[in-house]
Formats: sequence, C-alpha cells, structure tokens
Amino acid sequence: MSKIMPVDILSSIKGAKSSEAVDKLFDVIKNAEINQNSSNQNAKNAVSIGDLRADVVENSSEITKQIIKENFPKEKDGYLVVSKVIEG
Amino acid sequence: MESQIQKIHNQLVAKEFTCTELVTQKLALLKENKFNSVNTVLDHLALEAAAKVDAKIANGEEIGLLEGIPFGIKDVYMVQGTYTSASSDLLKKYKSAYTATAIQKLLDAGAIPMAKENCDSFGHGSSSENTVFGSVKNAVDTSLVAGGSSGGSAVNVAAGYTVFSIGGDTGGSIRQPAGYNKIYGLKPTYGRVSRYGLMAYASSTDTVGPLAKSIEDVAIVMNVISGKDAKDQTSVVSEKISAEVVASKPEGIKVGYFKNFIENDAIDPTIKADFLATIEKIKTAGYQVQELDFFDADTLVSTYYTLAMAETASNLSRLDGTNYGDRIEGKNLKETYMVTRSENFTEETKRRIVGGNQVLSQGFSDAIYLKGQELRKEIEAAFEADFNKVDIILSPVTPGPVPKIGEVLSNPHAMYLSDAYTVGFSLGQLPTLTCPFGTETGIQVTGAKNKEQTILQFANFLNQVQ
Repeated sequence: MSKIMPVDILSSIKGAKSSEAVDKLFDVIKNAEINQNSSNQNAKNAVSIGDLRADVVENSSEITKQIIKENFPKEKDGYLVVSKVIEG
Repeated sequence: MESQIQKIHNQLVAKEFTCTELVTQKLALLKENKFNSVNTVLDHLALEAAAKVDAKIANGEEIGLLEGIPFGIKDVYMVQGTYTSASSDLLKKYKSAYTATAIQKLLDAGAIPMAKENCDSFGHGSSSENTVFGSVKNAVDTSLVAGGSSGGSAVNVAAGYTVFSIGGDTGGSIRQPAGYNKIYGLKPTYGRVSRYGLMAYASSTDTVGPLAKSIEDVAIVMNVISGKDAKDQTSVVSEKISAEVVASKPEGIKVGYFKNFIENDAIDPTIKADFLATIEKIKTAGYQVQELDFFDADTLVSTYYTLAMAETASNLSRLDGTNYGDRIEGKNLKETYMVTRSENFTEETKRRIVGGNQVLSQGFSDAIYLKGQELRKEIEAAFEADFNKVDIILSPVTPGPVPKIGEVLSNPHAMYLSDAYTVGFSLGQLPTLTCPFGTETGIQVTGAKNKEQTILQFANFLNQVQ
C-alpha cells in the first residue's frame, strides 16, 4: 500500500487533483536557493509565554448558545443529529 | 478629499439631517446597487443604532466622532445574529454566534453597521469574482473587476454607500481593490488589530483594516480598532496615530523603491512611467530616493501562495458540515465530509485547499513548505535591512491595469502573479497603505512595523504634490 495519501482523501474533496497553475508556483520554491543565515528570524515572530491566554473555561451567553444550536445542520425530536459514524 | 467622518459628524451635530434619514438613504442605495457589492443588508441593526444616535442628539447629549457614521463589513467578520457567509455556499446560512473584536469596538463607538459585503470566497481571489453572490463590479467602470478579495468593501466606499468599510488583507485584499476603485486602503502591521472573529484564511498574514476616501478617515478608524486583545494572542499594543503629525510635512524621511519591481517585462509601460514620474516629484520636493534590490516577483508570489495555501487548507479543514454549514448527507461520515466540501466550495477554494494539503503532505513538506518558510525568513530579514536604510518604501499596487470582468478566474496562474507587488509586504507583516493616485491602480506606501503614522503622514504629503 502506498504511503502517500492522495490529495482528494487528504482534502476530503471528491475527485480533487493537483493543479498545473499551483504546481508552477511550487516549482519556483523547489528550485530556489536558500541563504542559511536567516533562521534568527524565528524568535521575532513567536508569541511570548507572558502573552498566552489563561486556560479557563468561559460560559457562553444564552444568545450565543441559541445561535450555535440554530446553526446545527440537522435536528430531530429535540436532538442534534450527526452522520452515521460506525457502519452496521 | 476632506474627512467624510468629520463632515458627517458636523452635519449630524448641526441637525442638517437625522441619523435615521442618513441611514435610510444609504440602505436604499445599498439595496438598489448595480455593483453586486452586498451579500446582506443590515436594515434592522442599522436603523436601531441610528435611532439611539438621534435620541442622544435630541436630548442635547454630545456624540462621539464615529457615532452615527455608516460603515460596511466584509462578509468574513462575525457580527452576532447576522449571516457570515464568506461568500460561499457552505456558509450561506451560517449565523454569527458572537461579534469580532474590531467590529465590536466600532459598534461601541456608535458607528452604524450597514451591510455584510461581497468578497472572494474565504478571501481566495484577486477580483471578487470567486463568490456565490455574483461578481462585484468596479465602482469606476462596471465592465471591470472590483478587485479582491475585499471588492464589495472597496466599491461601497467608492460609490458612497458606506463612509468606510472594514476589509481583510492577507496578500493584498484591501490594498488592491482600494487601488482599483480609487480610494485609500490600509493593511496594518500584523497584530495591530485583533483577528478575533475574522474567518481565518492564512493566519500568519491575515490582517484587519479600513478602506476610506481620506487619509484622516483611515487614521480615525485605526485609532478605534487597534489594540491588544486577550482573544488574539498575536495582537500587539500600539500608539495612537496623531492627526496633527499626519497633517504635517514629513521631515528627514528617506524613500526607497524596489528597482526590480519597475525594471522588468511584466510591468505595464504606463504604470511604470507614472510610478517613475511620482518618484521624480518626490525628488523635486527635496527627499532622498534610493533604489533597492529585492526578491523577484516569482519568488515572492510562490512563497506567499505556498504558505497561504498550507494555512488555508488547515484553517478550512473544520468546515465539514458537522456542526454548522450546509451539510450534504452521504452514506457514512467520510462520504458526508467529502460531498459537503466538494459541492459547497468554489473551484478556486478547492484549488487552494488541495495545494495546501499537497505541500503539507509527506514527501513534499521539506521540499516545498519548509523551504517556503525559510524563504519567508529571508524576505523578512531583507525588509529589516532595507528599513535600516530608508523610512518609506514605495511601489505600484499591481503590475498591470484593472482587468475586465471574466478575464481573471480563467487563468489562475496569471491571477497569482498579479499579486506580485502586494504579497511581499504581507510576508513581512508590514503596514502598507494604498493611495488612489500615482498609477492607474494606485501606489503603495510601506513602513517598518508599527510605523502607520509615518506612512499616513508621507501619503498625505504625496497627495498634496499630485
């Protein structure tokens, strides 16, 4: 079995194929030369630990909860219905 | 042009018209509009907010500068209880459960939300034709594209339907439509405005910014929406932009431009000539102008799209119809995901998701994605070196003139290359303002990170010497 997963499975898009227009962009990157002195930029774009949000649970407002339920695609007898996960 | 916000504020205070009259007139224009620039008109919210402003004025209370000012919102921002479709079939009936920080700040300041504006689906495009609501037409010439992805936002401002609009810019999506519709558009420094409540395209370059008819209005809006936000850990503290400094003559400013952007075969000869004429005016006004070397357009575009596609593939993987969105049932869960996404994403969105998954997959990530990350670091380092030499970098907004409707989507590779002059500044996370002069599609004024005040001041000077 091939180790490389096809792009339609990876993307969850039926019949998806790579595009010539996009492949042309990737070819430029493959052929580009890299200067090895640029890795000191890493720290500059990192978020400092002090800026991390506290890990706390916040209760949503009633209106938020109501809209979240309204957005659910399928409801039956007061239950939110998901697709069948385990095939019988 | 003078500040439209200040002008309307003065008229409201002088009781020349009521806020309800103003909003009613603009709502009618938005509904009748021939540009296809709107996905949802927010009648109820707008009129309710206008009535509050009128009540304050009638009671003799003072109103803030933004109170009663009608504004538009690109249809990728959450506004509680309104549809936020990202111009896609998948989210056509998706209702925001909360409000984006930038929009909430404007609502708190009393600005009036008028419409959710048409755009390229999930920000994927440069013409606002990749939308399930129909192509947006240019405000200056309806046979031309509006630009994108914030095309509806630019058109609404240019047509006078909104006083300002909030767009989103990942690789040029505020700056390019601003140039195409002859208004100002600012892509702020990454993090200056919270991204909380913005539907993510490419999280490392997504920015929130205003489109308006004057530099003063850009500054007024920026001062309200900027700031650190606990809900976006990449947001940063910033200083207020001073209207006095922006209006003053910039002193001791050194200007640069990328020689290779101008001296190549891809640039339209008129755009090149007009840009160089602007450079001459700057020299005549006594400023030093330096030519700078930079990365070629192919490398910039390829680096940007490699990283943006990888990020959008990851960000949009959550859209599978399970918890929200237009679910299309298949015979099992996997089939449901696949059919839902195949049927509900546009061709361009699918192209970008597939490209992103390609570069993130085993066997490709080292050769493409990680190499793209390294190139981005080089680009950032080059900007840092350039801003040790100059204070302002000028460039055209696009290499070519505004395309006709129907020309862009048929050639995706050409569409990607048309972003050549905007994507570099996105990778550098730098503030860049499009000004509606200098070339047919405008001129970009870029500064080092957090130098918004300097670029607005220099743009104000440029406006005066046009």
